[in-house]
Amino acid sequence: MDLFPVWLSLRVSLVATALTVVVGIPVAWFLARRRHVGKEVVAALVVSPLVLPPTVLGYYLLVLIGTPGPIGRLLGSLGIELAFTWRAAVLAACVGSLPLLIRAAQAGFESVDERLEQAARTLGRSEPSVFWSVSLPLAWRAVVAGMVLAFCRAFGDFGITLMVAGNIPGRTQTLPLAIYDHVQANAMREANVLALLAVGAVIILLVGVGRLARVRY
Amino acid sequence: MRHLWLGATLAIILGGAVMPSRAADTPTLTIFAAADLAFALRDLAPRFEKAHGIKVSLVLGSTGNLARQIEHGAPADLFFAANESFVDDLVRIGAVIPETRGLYAQGRLALATARSFGAKLTDLRQLADTRVRRIAIANPQHAPYGKAAEQALRKVGLWETVQPKLVYGENIRHTLQFLQTGATEVGIVALSVANVPEIDWVAIDPALHAPLNQVVAVVRNSGRPELGLAFIQFVGGPEGRRIMKSYGFLLPGEF
Repeated sequence: MDLFPVWLSLRVSLVATALTVVVGIPVAWFLARRRHVGKEVVAALVVSPLVLPPTVLGYYLLVLIGTPGPIGRLLGSLGIELAFTWRAAVLAACVGSLPLLIRAAQAGFESVDERLEQAARTLGRSEPSVFWSVSLPLAWRAVVAGMVLAFCRAFGDFGITLMVAGNIPGRTQTLPLAIYDHVQANAMREANVLALLAVGAVIILLVGVGRLARVRY
Repeated sequence: MRHLWLGATLAIILGGAVMPSRAADTPTLTIFAAADLAFALRDLAPRFEKAHGIKVSLVLGSTGNLARQIEHGAPADLFFAANESFVDDLVRIGAVIPETRGLYAQGRLALATARSFGAKLTDLRQLADTRVRRIAIANPQHAPYGKAAEQALRKVGLWETVQPKLVYGENIRHTLQFLQTGATEVGIVALSVANVPEIDWVAIDPALHAPLNQVVAVVRNSGRPELGLAFIQFVGGPEGRRIMKSYGFLLPGEF
């Protein structure tokens, strides 16, 4: 049986989770700490991808990043191909995962006692230092929970990936797409094996992360 | 914590640098095809691969989705559609090569009964039977086979009677799955995918609906249009015709 989709999915979801963390944590921090008008609007916008049907969301993305689209043309002039490559699968996974990570991390940062951060500031800590040494360590569990959700969402994404990355075997066919294809082809044995692999891989990974997180913190 | 960020950054760099892709040493023909061709193309592709020493990559989906992807630059070489209007739209915007557009087959409908139902239906009129509680068809709003099913039901004067019993599948394979799971007792599906162990079927008279014209075209972006044309010729050749026929398609010259 062709195991390419398993490796592709692991890689896509790991890269996507990493990107989601890099982009999402600053946003979550901003939403949790800065108080100004429009914050609620930003917070609502952040979760809006969750309410759209994934294939429709994927279609909108495709209009933007496809060869004739505005972002597609810009990237094309730089010689970068995004739509229908594995990088598009990463983008798709990120779009689905970001709301989950941001919401979880935001809740974590909001639960940190602000007086502790103030105390660090009075002791002369800079803002980045306050974040690294006080806020993040205290919000750590929520952030990990968000990362786990983000990873699972990325690993399982179907609709957005289907539209922007295509379902090209050996190139952009991720595990969920491969399972769906096998079901469509009435190859239930292959579909069942891959479905078990998907669940198994994620369980092993998450149990591992759970163990590590407990040992270190 | 710092290690996590370091790891994240590293993963991105690595991820960007190494692109997972299967060995591209043998030329690959990427075919975007409608779901009703799933079984026929899986049968045809390996034979073409052997004859031409190339790799065929099949991407199966709904005609509408695939057409939209081709419009936005999908790396397809060939597009087999279950509905000619989508290909004509692509011709209009210049996404496929007009001269390569060709009618390769007509689809047929089958009246399918789940084996678990016991009795096998042989005529559309039996759908009015009170023992039939649910009837699966593809969504007539957008699925070609669903539209044809609606036309056939109207033609035999049953549309109003059976409408409360109808359940809509997203596409023709999804409709078949309603039957395979036994969730619906009967349904109207594409003949080309009806050969599964869980159902019995009879062909429906094609005169009851507008022709299900299946159209193919070579995609403009294709780097190797000659390979795509060779595949079209193969489907229309003696071996291709024999296989397409075995999956219940009507072939040019037969309609």
